[in-house]
Amino acid sequence: MEFLKSILITPFVDMATAPDFLLQVLWEGLVSGVLYALIALGFVLIFRSSRIFNFAQGIMVVFAALTLIGFHSLGIPAWISVIFTLGVMGLLAITIERVVLRPLVGQPDIILFMATIGVTLFLIGFGELIFGGESKRMITQELGMPTGSIDFEPFGGLLILQHIEIMSVTAAVILVASLLLFLNKTRMGRAVRALGDDPQAALSVGISLRTIWVLVWFLAGVIALVTGIFWGARAGGVDFALEIIAYKALPVLMLGGLESITGAIVGGIAIGLLENLFEIYWGQELLGGGTKTWFAYVLALFVLLFRPQGLFGEKIIERV
Amino acid sequence: MKKLTTFAAAAVMAITAGAASAEGLSTPNLSYRTGPFAATGIPLMNGQRDYMLMLNARDGGIGGVPIDFSECETGYSTEKGVECYEATKGEAIVTQPWSTGITLQVLPKTNVDQIPILAPGYGFSPMADGSVFNWAFNMPGSYWDAASMILNELGGNDLSTLAGKKIAFLHLDHPFGKEPLPFLEAMAEEHGFELLPIPVGLKEMQNQSAQWLQIRRERPDNVIMWGWGAMNAGALTEAVKTRYPMDQFVGVWWSGHDGDMEALGEAGKGYRSISYSAPQPDAAVMADIREYVFDKGDSLATESELDWVFYQRGLVISALLAEGIKTAQDNFGEGEISAAQLRWGLENLKLTDERLAEMGMTGMVAPFSTSCSNHTGHAGGWMLEWDGAKWVVGSDHLMADAETIRPLEVAAAAEYAEANAPWPIVDCE
Repeated sequence: MEFLKSILITPFVDMATAPDFLLQVLWEGLVSGVLYALIALGFVLIFRSSRIFNFAQGIMVVFAALTLIGFHSLGIPAWISVIFTLGVMGLLAITIERVVLRPLVGQPDIILFMATIGVTLFLIGFGELIFGGESKRMITQELGMPTGSIDFEPFGGLLILQHIEIMSVTAAVILVASLLLFLNKTRMGRAVRALGDDPQAALSVGISLRTIWVLVWFLAGVIALVTGIFWGARAGGVDFALEIIAYKALPVLMLGGLESITGAIVGGIAIGLLENLFEIYWGQELLGGGTKTWFAYVLALFVLLFRPQGLFGEKIIERV
Repeated sequence: MKKLTTFAAAAVMAITAGAASAEGLSTPNLSYRTGPFAATGIPLMNGQRDYMLMLNARDGGIGGVPIDFSECETGYSTEKGVECYEATKGEAIVTQPWSTGITLQVLPKTNVDQIPILAPGYGFSPMADGSVFNWAFNMPGSYWDAASMILNELGGNDLSTLAGKKIAFLHLDHPFGKEPLPFLEAMAEEHGFELLPIPVGLKEMQNQSAQWLQIRRERPDNVIMWGWGAMNAGALTEAVKTRYPMDQFVGVWWSGHDGDMEALGEAGKGYRSISYSAPQPDAAVMADIREYVFDKGDSLATESELDWVFYQRGLVISALLAEGIKTAQDNFGEGEISAAQLRWGLENLKLTDERLAEMGMTGMVAPFSTSCSNHTGHAGGWMLEWDGAKWVVGSDHLMADAETIRPLEVAAAAEYAEANAPWPIVDCE
């Protein structure tokens, strides 16, 4: 009886008695969720256009963030460093298309997936050679990003919103809106979608596979840079441990669906919110904490039982 | 360019580790300069390496025999660590596993291979009992020593004052992070304070919002951190964000990294970290390190790193090994000592103030001695405090509560031996 009470009653009583704390839990979950969604977005973009599951997205986040810090450490102004970093990500996209993907055109998906694992290992080794393994401070202040926080006192309590977190949510919203606009309203964006929907038909009407691949890998690099800046600020530094966070994108993709930008956003935010709520109100009390390590995966598996394509994924019917 | 060169050198070093050994005493280090824990590992490994290079350059090694100090890269992975142990054990007179997880895995193997494990300030605390852990050494202090000193400091040397208080234990969800739990639980029960263990998974090291929300809700009187790698910076950033008072926040000796604190700056003022070593930038040994290693361009460290707590702790760690080798050489009258002879040397260390002064390391570690029944030395330590710009020694020399720890060590060692029977026991009397 006591056990049932701790599951069904106590958490909700806690939420009701400290609503300011509940709001803080939800805010922290939202910020984490948005950042998960950003990582997932990089996966989705590449998968949508080429059916390649890009295992390298996590290390691209680290690589982009360290490149930015590296340029700045050479005395280059912060925003010029951003432009240089975008240049490096563009160069990386061209190199990956030319060296890794182009020779593998027409190969099974699993071969392309393995190739992205190769890209991951290369970027880890190359990155450690260039930047070293030490943790580096993200240059948020140099980029003119606000520090400090705003305090609210809802229900007589305390809600702390960090300026940088508000900015990360805002930046994510702008980035997603821009991407949706690009994919739906521009000629190039429609070409990306067409290639994902039916590669043969897209090629037959003159869409260049090479151009689109370079474009989507570059866009994934842009997303990686934005993600790296905000995760780096949140984590207290940028080093190769940041790559681990990318694994959180996997349940987000399972939940939201591999092809859907909306799915990545909804999946990311849902996982961010739910894992925080579960950890704070159920996990710590009943299981001694640490539930965030597995909660997202269990949730995603549960969804897969009912919707194998994820909440927003396309149902694929293959006829033999 | 310096970075590129040093990492290229590190890469070559990692590749050559495990290959045919060079001349001299083989003292492999199972290091991690890559992976999620590299940021905290690198300065320690650099300190260890530089001390051995300095001995080779200044004295031609130890007792005239050069030191073959190689590294095998583990990335802090237990599986890779075991592989490294197997790859390097052939010629080795010691193994330095550099992770509690790896230490626990190779403990039974070293009994069979008869190679001493040197795990200064880490590993399994009951390794102090040399009658059970004949081949394992964790001097100058164990995790239980660290926990005891932290509790003593929080309680003003009277643990009864902790009764009724709530202490959060924020720890990496890993063998290292869980190691002091049995001791802390025993102390909580005995002295009537509430212990609140809060695990941080490896995937959550850089996203600890849930853990710090729990701390905000529970309002503990103190937070003790057992963190490593990226977890430390993540926790400190969240502590500032949550506005947890820094002077109530204390870390173990692996949670006091200059790199993490420099990023935090003034916001981290008041945070403390227990330490078995104290940085002494003006120590005589530092002049030798500069003259024989750094100024020649042989070090992988940067100029500013030389004063860091972790770099200087790396020097101390290699100095302990060197002292074990010297003790064995002096006793057996031969330079090319065996693993078994080094085991004897490590078990008969007498690191006095005078000897530390001769080594140019006064104040870098407290004097201690080891014996068959005491493989930890229990040297005690200092509470380092971040003043907003650098670490300062913020306490007198502290000692762990040996009377409380000893029976727990003996009981846990006996339990380990029973669980792993047949386990060789040595009579220390």
